[in-house]
Amino acid sequence: MATEKSKGQPTANSLKSGHWVASSCKMCLHSCGNLIHVTDDGIINKIEGNPTNPSNNGKLCPKGNAAIMRHYDPARFKQPMRRTNPEKGTGVDPMWEPISWEEALDITAKEIKKSLDEDPRKILPSLEDFQKFNIWAWPLAFGNFNFYQSGGTMCGGAYHPINGFIHSAFGCANDAKYCNYWINNGTGDGFSSHLHAAAQANWVAKARTERNMRVVSIEPRLSIGSAKAEEWIPIRPATDRHFAMGMSHVMINEGLCDYKFLKRDTNSPYLVGEDGLFIRDENRQCYIWDAQNDCAKLWSDKSIGKIALEGNYEIDGKACRPAFQVYKDILEECTPEAMSEITTVPAETIRRIAREFAEAAQVGATMKLEDGRTVPFRPAGYNYYRGAQGHKHGAQTNHAFKLVNMLMGNIDAPGGHMGVVLDTKEVDINHCVPGESGMLTPTPHQLGPTPPFAYPPNTYHLMDYFPLGVHPPHFNLLVHDDPAHFGVEFTPDVIVNCHSNPVWAMQGPRTKWFDFLRSMRFIVCVDIIPTEMTDWADIILPSSDVLETWNCTMIEPPHTEGQSFRQPAVPPLHDTKSEEEIFYEISERMGILEAYNNVVNLTLGFEGHPELMLELDKKYTDKEIAERKGKLWNGKDIEWYMERGHSVTEKRLDKWYRPWEGSRLHFYIEDMLVERNKLKQQMEDANVPFRHEWEWDDYQPLPSTTLDPVHEEPPEYNLYAITFKDIQINFGESLSNPWLKDIVYRDPVHTGLLLNPKTAAAQGLEQGSIVLVESPYGHVYGRINVSEGMHPETLGISNALSRMKSKDSGVLPAGGHFNDMLPYDLRNTDAATGQPETVCKVKITKLDDWPEFLKDGHTVYDLIAKNESAKGKGGQH
Amino acid sequence: MARMGMVFDLKACIGCNACVIACKQENSLPNGVFFTKTLSEEYGVFPMANRVFIPTICNHCEDAPCEKVCPTGATYTREDGIVMVDDDKCIGCSSCSVACPYDQRTQMEESDFLKGLFGNGEITPFEEDGYGRYTPGTVTKCDFCSQRVDVGLDPACVVTCPTNARIFGDLDDVHSAPSKMIRERHGRPPLPEKNTKPKVFYVN
Repeated sequence: MATEKSKGQPTANSLKSGHWVASSCKMCLHSCGNLIHVTDDGIINKIEGNPTNPSNNGKLCPKGNAAIMRHYDPARFKQPMRRTNPEKGTGVDPMWEPISWEEALDITAKEIKKSLDEDPRKILPSLEDFQKFNIWAWPLAFGNFNFYQSGGTMCGGAYHPINGFIHSAFGCANDAKYCNYWINNGTGDGFSSHLHAAAQANWVAKARTERNMRVVSIEPRLSIGSAKAEEWIPIRPATDRHFAMGMSHVMINEGLCDYKFLKRDTNSPYLVGEDGLFIRDENRQCYIWDAQNDCAKLWSDKSIGKIALEGNYEIDGKACRPAFQVYKDILEECTPEAMSEITTVPAETIRRIAREFAEAAQVGATMKLEDGRTVPFRPAGYNYYRGAQGHKHGAQTNHAFKLVNMLMGNIDAPGGHMGVVLDTKEVDINHCVPGESGMLTPTPHQLGPTPPFAYPPNTYHLMDYFPLGVHPPHFNLLVHDDPAHFGVEFTPDVIVNCHSNPVWAMQGPRTKWFDFLRSMRFIVCVDIIPTEMTDWADIILPSSDVLETWNCTMIEPPHTEGQSFRQPAVPPLHDTKSEEEIFYEISERMGILEAYNNVVNLTLGFEGHPELMLELDKKYTDKEIAERKGKLWNGKDIEWYMERGHSVTEKRLDKWYRPWEGSRLHFYIEDMLVERNKLKQQMEDANVPFRHEWEWDDYQPLPSTTLDPVHEEPPEYNLYAITFKDIQINFGESLSNPWLKDIVYRDPVHTGLLLNPKTAAAQGLEQGSIVLVESPYGHVYGRINVSEGMHPETLGISNALSRMKSKDSGVLPAGGHFNDMLPYDLRNTDAATGQPETVCKVKITKLDDWPEFLKDGHTVYDLIAKNESAKGKGGQH
Repeated sequence: MARMGMVFDLKACIGCNACVIACKQENSLPNGVFFTKTLSEEYGVFPMANRVFIPTICNHCEDAPCEKVCPTGATYTREDGIVMVDDDKCIGCSSCSVACPYDQRTQMEESDFLKGLFGNGEITPFEEDGYGRYTPGTVTKCDFCSQRVDVGLDPACVVTCPTNARIFGDLDDVHSAPSKMIRERHGRPPLPEKNTKPKVFYVN
């Protein structure tokens, strides 16, 4: 340690002699603008937010503040390595042997090529770099649709398809710029998680402090958002849909809806036959009932006098109802009293929130935008995410939330509930396209093409049967349990892994996933630091980190558009390469270079831009790709981006507010039935043996009150268990980072299993009790922290207590993994979208002491004890 | 002369601890050492339970008990009101730590540095660059990023705060953001009964 001080020179890191580099963050999947300070000695010693970026306005979340500690992590992979220990396992030392890049790439390409030559389906990609879709899309170069990464299941399996149906967008958020009444249901948006956490927290805080925006938070746990909300409404897990349907019941029965919007901007007046499909003419055009002339007319008929939303009618002797009436009929049983039974939320609360929300929405109000349009002004939005939507009936659940918004006419309206595109370049390639019969073309496949129907299946996770959904990667394990049952005729034997930690992130017992990994002939991991997954690698290809590489991207920003630019602040510290270099080298060696360049041209939108198109026989660097992405957005060259670090501006009004103007939105998702019927027929024709097990009832054009099967587990499992993250551990890897570790494990929500004290007492438990928690599918060990901020039926388990010991990593185990307790079967997976259940039922057993494997002094609980015994370090927790 | 102070907006603070890590970055703090913290405290009974997030920092008291008890004059107040520690004069007697009613002072120990941030004795280039400013055995604390203040910048914790929950400025300037906020939202100092005249205030 140096103790000599240079007198007169600043000691504050940001003021030391050096320079600032304008770049972008990647401590989560989003891309806040940042400024990186590099000293004259080449040390990165401070990262701040970039105040010129109108998304995060110069702010950074704790993770964004902690990027330096990943860069200088001594455990970083410093050169390519080969395993010498044949025994594999998380926590088992692979006994790495450094090798040259040439050798590592040759081995990797040879091993993947072996499978490619035998059967391309034997390759299992696990590519989770969400800021580089050119890497994500690599398997398409050889027609491979396998998927072994967590995106989709623990994220938004049902969320993304429904956003695609309603907004033709990937994500959604409320419009913080004008919203006055913000409902958060099972999400931390604006407080602790999801879209651009620092940016959205900044926007929402301004709305709360400057405009007194009211926040109502509905969830089983008092999260940060609930703590800051004007009202926290605790709810029984996996009943959020019923809360939303109770609200909708009130809105419809009390006549609080935006009927003008419903009639003009949605398909809710379209007449639905008894088979659930729209009544159509020979040109497939839909009908609306004209209440004035008492007859059905084509939707486009200008002579319609009065559009009927309600009523029962007949066309050519066939009974039909407007789609709105269909939902009204479903909602008839959804009285606040009935929904209260299911949700535990008092009926009066459901009724009051519905009325407050409707009043705040100011149905009828308009706003004149600067672009000259006058649009509905609806300053109330119902926002939701993982906690509320991650259930068996995910599609219906997401749809129920959307319908609360739709009833208020607030979809993509100032102050309302907004669709958020994944990459902002989508808005310029017409993400909103008029479709058939006056309706918006739905885009449920937000993450690229899906494979066509096939039997025997061509994917190991059965993606051949999800025409509307996101990938269900947990089905890799389901199929692995019994491939013959699903007719799978190949066995994956190679995993190509990049910035992905599926052995940590997926549901199902780890022990079974370990067996799955042991069955692989070869695993290559492209990563920066050791993880639970890299312990399984045969070859490590070390990638450079976010402070050493180039990129240009923008991932689902809630209020802005443009490109976040990344440039190296320093040269790579170690003998590492960018992801682009690595995948180009592998592709060339595998003989798929041309096909890969074709895929990149298509994926990144270079196709159709001759000056940007990649030449098929060339390899490109991260810098060359970033340069093209910048030019694609605004024509500016790389020097322009290097100076500014971004091209982010507030969203153009016509791309943000009602970008689908002129098309009707899908109040009623007929495609659910159309695609179900098609899939059913395809399965029938192909004599798919498991077609009778398929959960056909999951495809619903409107939400139903069907309970998720988690509520029907055996009664001995008498509590629900949920898991959660907060802003310090938002999205991926956090806890190898010493700064994050130093704050997370001082926060009582992350230092034990959270249980309401009355529930604890009733079960003979108290603060500090060591327990075994068992679901019907798996178990964890833990220590109870009592908290009044928990719904009495619910055990809360922080994601900070989910890690496994892995070689050389600073992460600490805490007694198992919540995801071990989740099912991975058909029964608990939404057949419509692939969304699995993310809540489970558990029983708790009090133990006298920790099991032996947690007594080695290196667990989260040991660190907590150490922290608690340290005194006088600047304020007490 | 200015009188620098800070206001914490408890309505805005989401307890994210970005400030804490920005401070660790700016000041190269070893693990377990905090110049600022954001405390979290649950209160009430379900379903009326809630949690409050309370940022804490050195209050740069006008009647600073730490300064009064310092036997060597190591703790002193700058003309702009920032309470400083001159570690050349500090003998590490810890009187100030005992006197501080807010527990905002930390005696740096050699072992804090030797373990390294990753806890395995490896000292990263970041640490090599930053640890030189500290003299083990002496007492340190938040100095409102006085060097940043000298060049017209806000403290590191302030600039990063996603919710603008930390407002910094001259309390003698009635038009400054913190003065306005204290006035309009009835700012209160921490533990007023200690009569230390903090220059840090809380509003709700």
